[in-house]
Parts: sequence; C-alpha cells; structure tokens
Amino acid sequence: MSLDSPPPPAGPPPPTGPQVGADEWVARQAHRREYLPSWLGRAQRQAERIGWWPRLALAGLAAAALPLVGLGGFQLQVGIDALVIALLAVGLNITVGWTGLLDLGYVAFFGFGAYGFALVSSGQVGTNGIHLPSYLSIPLVMIAAAVLGLLVGLPSRRLVGDYLAIVTLFFGEAFVEFTNNVAPNTLGGPNGIVGIDPISIFGHQITTNTGYYLLLVVVLVVTMAVLRLLEFSRTGRAWRAVREDPLAAGSMTIPVDRVKLMAFAFGAAVAALAGTIFAAQQISVFPTDFDTPILILIYAGLILGGAGSIAGAATGALVIMVIYDGLLRSPTDSGYLFYGLILLTLVVKLRPWRRLGLVLGATVALGFAVHAIAAAVSARAVAGSPTSTGWIGTAMHDWVIVPANAAVAGNWGFVALVCLLIALVQVSSRTRTILLPPTLYLAAFVWETRLSVEPAVTRQLMIGAILIVMMNARPQGLLGQRRVEAIT
Amino acid sequence: MGFFFQELVNGITTGALYSLVALGFSMVYGVLKLLNFAHGDLYMVGAYIGFFVIQWFGGPSSLSIAVPLLLLIMFVLAGVVVGGLGVAIERFAYRPLRDAPRIAPLITAIGISFFLENAALLLFGAQFRVYNTADFISLSSGITIGSVTIDSVQIMVLVLGLLLTVGLRELVNRTKLGKQMRAVAADREAAEMMGINVNFTIAATFFLGSALAGVAGVMGGLLFNQVTPTIGFIVGLKAFTAAVVGGIGSLPGAMLGGLLIGVAESMITGYISSTYTNLFVFALLIVVMLVRPSGLLGQAQLQKV
Amino acid sequence: MKSSMIVAAAAAGALAVAGCASSSTSSTAGGATKSCVASTGMEGPLTGPVAVLGQEQLHFAQLAVLRDNLANHTKITIVQGDTQLNPAQATTVTQQFTSNSKIVAVVGPAGSQEVEAVGPLMARAGLAFISGSATAAALTTGKYPTFFRTVSKDSVQGPQDANYIINNLHPKALMIVDDQEAYSTGLVSAMMPIFQAAGIKVDHESVSQKLTDFSSLVAKVTPSTTVVVLPWQVASNAQQFGRNLAQQHKKAVIFGTDGLFSPGTFSINGSYVSSFGPDITALPADKAIAAAALAKFGKFGTFGPPVFAAQHVIDEAIASVCKSGQTPSRANVLAAIKKTNEATTILGQPIKFTSSGDVVNGKFFLFKIDSTGKYNLIPG
Repeated sequence: MSLDSPPPPAGPPPPTGPQVGADEWVARQAHRREYLPSWLGRAQRQAERIGWWPRLALAGLAAAALPLVGLGGFQLQVGIDALVIALLAVGLNITVGWTGLLDLGYVAFFGFGAYGFALVSSGQVGTNGIHLPSYLSIPLVMIAAAVLGLLVGLPSRRLVGDYLAIVTLFFGEAFVEFTNNVAPNTLGGPNGIVGIDPISIFGHQITTNTGYYLLLVVVLVVTMAVLRLLEFSRTGRAWRAVREDPLAAGSMTIPVDRVKLMAFAFGAAVAALAGTIFAAQQISVFPTDFDTPILILIYAGLILGGAGSIAGAATGALVIMVIYDGLLRSPTDSGYLFYGLILLTLVVKLRPWRRLGLVLGATVALGFAVHAIAAAVSARAVAGSPTSTGWIGTAMHDWVIVPANAAVAGNWGFVALVCLLIALVQVSSRTRTILLPPTLYLAAFVWETRLSVEPAVTRQLMIGAILIVMMNARPQGLLGQRRVEAIT
Repeated sequence: MGFFFQELVNGITTGALYSLVALGFSMVYGVLKLLNFAHGDLYMVGAYIGFFVIQWFGGPSSLSIAVPLLLLIMFVLAGVVVGGLGVAIERFAYRPLRDAPRIAPLITAIGISFFLENAALLLFGAQFRVYNTADFISLSSGITIGSVTIDSVQIMVLVLGLLLTVGLRELVNRTKLGKQMRAVAADREAAEMMGINVNFTIAATFFLGSALAGVAGVMGGLLFNQVTPTIGFIVGLKAFTAAVVGGIGSLPGAMLGGLLIGVAESMITGYISSTYTNLFVFALLIVVMLVRPSGLLGQAQLQKV
Repeated sequence: MKSSMIVAAAAAGALAVAGCASSSTSSTAGGATKSCVASTGMEGPLTGPVAVLGQEQLHFAQLAVLRDNLANHTKITIVQGDTQLNPAQATTVTQQFTSNSKIVAVVGPAGSQEVEAVGPLMARAGLAFISGSATAAALTTGKYPTFFRTVSKDSVQGPQDANYIINNLHPKALMIVDDQEAYSTGLVSAMMPIFQAAGIKVDHESVSQKLTDFSSLVAKVTPSTTVVVLPWQVASNAQQFGRNLAQQHKKAVIFGTDGLFSPGTFSINGSYVSSFGPDITALPADKAIAAAALAKFGKFGTFGPPVFAAQHVIDEAIASVCKSGQTPSRANVLAAIKKTNEATTILGQPIKFTSSGDVVNGKFFLFKIDSTGKYNLIPG
C-alpha cells in the first residue's frame, strides 16, 4: 500500500469532432471563432480586422486589374468561366449554405436564364426575332426565374432533406430533356440557339472577352454586396434559423414555408443573372451546357470554399475553376501541379524535418538505384523517355524508369499506386515512413509513363483526387466554419 | 395485350437491376446517412470484371468452361472484388468525414466517382467492351408465351434479383450482423456505447452494398452487352432515385422504387412516346413524392426537438 | 511552426520560379539543321460519355502525324484539347489554341454544335480547322471562312439514303429513331419529308444517346414495320438494338447512316449502312495503316479515318509551306489547305475543298452486312 499521493489527474483528452456547447452560433456570438493554426490564424485575424467590405473592394479591384497586367485570350476565357461559376456558387449558397435545402436542380435556373435571354435577345422567335435591350431583358429574365424558383420550391412545403433533393434533381434533368426535345423550332433542339445579341450597358455593346470579364467582376462584387446585406437582415437570420432547426424557427413565428420559397427564388434569380451573361458571352446556348457536370462544379466550388459563407463560395468556385479549366488543361502545368502538390503534402504533413529529409533522400536514392539495376538487367526497361518537358523531364531522365512498353507497365503501376495509397492510410507511422519512398517513386513512374501521355484523362483523375484530398483535409471548406449538425 | 405484357416484362427486368443497385445504395445511406454518388461506378467496375472473366476463359464464342460455372465465377468474383473496393473507399475517403456535415462526403463521393470513371478510361480504354451474351446464352433459350418472349438472361436476372433481395432481408432481420447494422443506422453513438464495433459494421455494410452493385454490374453486362466507363453514372442516378422514392433506409422500399422506375420507363416508352419518356417518368415520380412525402415505404421522419 | 511554413513557402516558390523560368527558355530540340517544326491542335470528346469517338479520332490523328513526320521529315506535334462534345468547353479549348501562337491549324471539333460555337473564334484568329465528323449542312454556308471538313454533309446523305430505302426496300411502315444529338436530328429532318411524301407510315422515336437498353423500344416494332432507320453515332448501341430485335423475334431490317459504319462493332446480318468512304480495311492502299491502327488501338469504326485524312491534309500543308522556305504560320497554312488537291487519301477518294469548306464531289457509298459481319459494297 503506497502512501504517496495519487498523481494529478490528467487533463481532458483533446476534443475530436463536434462538441456539446461549442457550436457555431454560440462561438460566433462569443467571438470565439475557430481560426486556422499558427501564422495562418494570425493572418486570418488581421484580415478580419480590415473588415468584410474593404476586403471585397480590394478583391474586386485586384480582379479587375488583372487584364491590365496582361492576360491572354485563354486566361481571360478561364477567368470568365470561373467568374460565372463563382456567381452561381454564391447564388447556390443561399439555398444550400444558408437555408440548408439540398437543391440538385440548380443548374436548371442557370439554363433558364440563358435560354430566356437567348429567346428575347436574338433572332430566334418570330421572323426577325425579339431584340429587347439588355436593361429590359436581364431583369425580365431574372424575375421570371424567381417565379420559376417559387414553383420549384413549392414541394419544399411537404418534402424535406433528401426527398426534396430528388424532386429538384428531377427538375434539373427535366430542363435538359425539355430544351433538347421539346419545341425544336423555338428552342432549337440539340442545335440550340445561336446568334444571341451582346449585352449593352448604357448604350455600349460588350463584344470582347475583356469586356465580359470586367462585367462579370462588377456583377459578382455587386451580388456579393447585396447578399451580404441580405445575410444580416431579418431574412438572412430567418434562413439560418430554418437551417438549424425548422421546428424551433416555426415556433419563433418565422414563416418557414415562405422563407424556404424565398431562398429558392433568390437563388434562382442569381443563377438566371449568371445565365444571361453566359449566353451573351458564348453567343449561343445548347442544352448540354446545362447538364450535370456543371452542377457538380458549382457544388464542388461551394462546398470546397465553405458552404454558408459568401466569400467562401466565390473563392472555392474560383479556385476549382482556375485549377480545373485553366491549369489542368495544360500538360506542363498539370505536371507542376502534380509534383508540387505531392511535395506540399509531404512538407505540411511529415514532421519532424529529419523525417522529411530522410524520406526525400531515400526516394532519390531508391530511384537512381532502381534505374541503374533496371538498365543493367534489360535495355528495354529504360528505353522510353519521360514525357514531361522542360527541366522536370531532364531531371527525371536518369531517375525514373520508362520502359519501352510504357502503357502496360504504366497501367500496372497505376493500380499498384492506388493500392499503396490505400494501404498507407491504414498502417502505423513507422511502416508509413518505410513505404513512402517506394510510393513516391511509383507516383513519378506512373506520371511519366502513363498519366502525362493522356492529359485529358489525367485532368479528370487529378480533379477527382484533389476533391477527395481537400475534403479530407478540411471538411468545412476553405473559408467555412465547423458546424454541429443535428441529424434526426 | 401481348404488347402490354412484353413491356411489363422488359420493365420488371430493368427494374430488378435498378433495385439491386438501389438496395446497396439504401444500405449505405441507412448506416451513414451518406449519398454515395460513387455507387453507380461500382456497378461499372463489376461489369468490367465480368467482361474480363469472359475474356479469360476464351471469349464469348469459344468458352473453355461450362456456362453455369462461368456465370458463378463472374458473379462471385465481381461481388468480392467490388465489395473489397467499397470497403477500401470507405476506409480511405469516408471514415475521416464521419463527423462532418452531411454535405462534405457528397463532394468526396463525387471525387471518387470522377476518379473511378477515369481510372477505368485510363486502364481499359474508351472502346465499348461487349459481352456478346448471345454467343454463349442462346437467344432462343427462353420462354415464349404467345407473343411475349422472356429471354433466359432476363429470367436469370429476375430470379437472382429476388434471391439476393430475400437473402439481404433475412440477413438484416435475422442475423446478428443485421441487428448491428440496424442499431448503427438508428443511432451510431448509442450503438457504440452498447459495445458494437461500429467500424466493422460500417465496413461490412459497405462490403455488402458494393458487392450487390458489382453483381448488378455483371447482370447489366449480360443484359445490355455493352460496358464503357460511363455506364455507371445513369444507373447510379436511377438507383439514387429509386432508393429515395421508395423511402430512404427502407430496403423493401428501394426494391419497390427500382421496379416502379423500370416499369414506368417501359410503359411510357411503349404507350406514349420514347421522346418524352424521361419527362413523363419525372412527372410521375414527382407526383408519387408529393402524395407520399417520405417515400413509398419510408417512415415519416420524427422531428426531435 | 512559423519557420517551417516560411521554408515551405520559399521552397514552393523557388520550384515555381525555376519551373517558369526554364520553361520559357526551353530550347527546341536541336539537331536537324532546317527542321519543319509546328504544332497542331486536336479538339474532341476525349473523356465523358462519348469518349470512344474522341479517343478513336485522337489515335488516328496521332497515327497520321507519326507517319507524316517520317515521310516529310517534319516535326509536327499534337496539342490535345478535351471538349466532352460540349460547346462551352469547346470554346475554352479553342481559346487555349488560339492563344497558343505555336498552333497553326486544328483538327476537330467533332460535333456540329461545337463548330457553331467556335467558328467565329477560329475565323477571328485566322486559324484553319478541319473536322472529320461535323456533318450539319448549315456549317458550310460561308459563315465560317476557316472551316473545312473531310466528310460529306447530312443534306447529301439523308435524301440519298431515304430514296434508296423507298426504291429498293419498299417498306409500308418504318420506324426512325434519333439519338437526340444534332447529327441525328439533322438527318431525321432531312429524311422525314421524303418518306412522308412517298406515303410511308413513319413512327418517329427518340432516345438518349446514353441509353443502352432498347427492349422497350423494340417491343413497339410492329410486324408491318420492315425497316428501322437508325441515324446514330454510337455503333455499339445499334448492335444492342439489333440484339433486342432478334431476342423479340422482330423481322425488321436496320438501316444505318455513317455513324454506324463500324466493322467489328455493328455486324447485324442483313443490315444496311451508308458511309462517306469505303471500309479502309478492305482497301489495299490502306492495308498498312489499318494494320497499324488495329495493332495499336484495337477495333475502330467510322470516326478515325476522316480525322486521319484531316490531319494528313494539315501535315501536307505544313510540309509544303516549309518546302517553299517559309516558316509555318496560320496564314500560310490556311492558304495551303485551301489549295489541297490530293488524288487519293485513306478514304479511297480524292480530297479537294470547295470555297465554303466542303469536300468536292463528296458522295456516299452503301453497304450491306452479310452473315459473317463483312460489309459488302452495293454497286451503283
């Protein structure tokens, strides 16, 4: 029997996952928000001190100044595509982020806006067409879209959650079917509507990509400003209340049904605005422009940026589109992104520094060793040359094996790489350090032999991988906040 | 009259296929409340596995083993491999997001869907891989009642679908694992406190759901003959629809939803017009949802205060 | 830790700077004293639901460049762009190509809608683009001065096929199914008036290109429907349709347009297929190419050979520009393409372009498939 006093009790274990009494609303009111760790958090607090409105103005000015710095035609187009998706994400944020309604048919409002504008501002309807000026057609289309949003939102009075999601999905699919098959003489069928009038602001017609880019920047900034005002209005608070607990909101005299309808209507109006600008910039609309892949991009942008935050929605969409539509379309940039992301993950995740150095050194050494052995064993094993160009290719030439029969070896390597990656997640820390150098070498091997040969397929693979990794790393999104969700 | 029954048979067969995929989808949803958009792509992987098994044994016109044995190997292999793939995906991508808001795993599932589809494109190429079922299961081996023909492949799909559904129901209602699944689906934290190994149960659920999708993939290959990397997308969407229309989390509901969609498509194509098939099916399903807001066989959701 | 983040950022920045610096000063491969170096773009649906078409086109374009580089001692490279048959993506890819000053000509895009979307852009950049599969008649009305195509158009194929059916197959009732794509609906609108004028009962159906099961549709084929016209792009779907026909014991004959021309994929006994060119595996002159394509890429259909022809036209244009001592540029390659006059090509026919971009004297051949799956040319 020991007479020693018992050791002091250990502190509570570090928290994992959502905690009782630490949810977003309380924390926000108590100004105890969650910040990113270390210097990123300090940067966040500094940014907050600047205030939301100055930040928006700065971002808008920076974006508008980009063409002056000299953007090529392709980069302007990527910028335009990214801004359209950002506008859509900001609108979707109203329904999904603020009100918590899963709207899987959102892209139909986008299409409605585009087709609406195409019908009233082109030569499609009637002998000479209706050529309404932009200051009439755009508000008209937005109001019509809001009405459509109200109609689509009507089922939300009876359906909740995923059941509502299904019904909205039907509307989304129905729109594509409708524009493709119904009334081909008016709607154009699969051939769509071509020859849409450009948008004219104060008598000045916008016909260049630079013009549309600047227009989109202005529209996005104004929309974000309006939504910010809405966010802190009674309506915005009502939306957030309905998201958190519809029953309690209803008990607090918030008209839940009407609030949900308003969310749909506002979201639809923003989407239609994006649609009109899209139609004018493309000068043509086709049914396939508004299919599920666009919906996926909008959702990816919204959730990666942080659902519930306007700035998050816009940022996430811009980041995703710049990567997907811009960087990944160029094989050299894809290579930089591939190797760069791997190195970045290692640097961020692998601690201490000695371990990181060990792994990198081992990878390099392993590479040279394997290359030497393979060259000695069989000339065919190193007959090919790495497909990366520039300095990466020359660096890789004596390091990575590229066999003569690259495709087959690359395929097997790809399968092995995926298996290794899955295994890496499961094993203990020491085994992981041992497995890392072969995995890294295998990754370089697969890239040089197979992935960079097929840039189109690699682009899709990489966006999929980026989505998976980014959601795992930060489930609440870049600028989102961790929320506690009561799942019944 | 014969026309009606022919369309009915076609519809029930396709519906049985959708039901199988919807069952797996519903199982995963029940346990994790996760909309697994990658489920359709597991169907696609199963179809490819079936194709390669046929090629391994000599190709559709010169098989080296008996057809029943071939079918058995195809189904078992597809089930096991796709089940394993499902478990790996869960471990790798969904487990870290178990406590995140429900919308986060949606994007992960989309990422996995992208990845699976394009990995198949990379590894297997874009060309349509064809089962050529008619070469080893003769087209004339079936039942013909009047003017209605039921192919032997269709019979097999129906029978196997029924067996699997009944087997799954027995598993969920009678076995210990089934009880664990129901417990985890009802309340994960309470189940954990009751001593249930939640990780294992969820992994087992994923295994079973994905295996079902894999088997459905082989069946789809036998029925429709063509395998490409993107066949999973439409089937996944229809399975999602079937699971929700039937009532989320209800296994008989998922089956019913799948059959409803299959028959509706068939009947509308036959009697109204093939151009507007999808539109009418959507309209029908919206009406169904509005009449029964919790799905056909779903339970009304309690709102806890 | 603050310092670690700074080091990480510095490392990443150094990588990026090094990469950008060296890529901008990357030297072209030296060696040959006066080598003809140029890049061409290739736009097509390389991923997505119709990847099978785009990948086939890409493979044939790559094959053409491989052979032409060897034959002409040029160094032409292909820059790929994935459009997924979507006009908005085609616009982005085209912007990428027009901004890339090294690209002097483009093969593609594959769909007629995409041509409508990118035509003005290409015209503004003076970039020639040759499509191997955009067949809408409206594309060559002079709207797109830099557009060419190596296949003939719907307004030729539609009436030719319709008249053949009426005069040779004498159907009382027929079913025509479109796949809700522009190619298909264009052909249907060209054929329907001719059928209706001949007094044939026409059942016009429409299915999505993504559909893989046609049993419900086939159940609608009545005993008096002797011909089913399938102006589809995906041959494999037509093969499945044929299987469903056999399964339900329907006696209708399938008549397909050039999208179905795929020996090896579509092989229903007794079917008819029209095509802008003969089966290249049957042409002795193309034996080497066909064998190389089969060995490297497997079975191919109807989308590869016209793109081979298009790429070959561009390669020859670039080679002739170099031979005359100039550096290839968009303007002189466009001029050289306009002057193309090849007596024989992979398609077994000469290629010469009209002023609006069509192939001169483009006509369609008709084939009947026998029980071994072989495509037999119907004379006349």
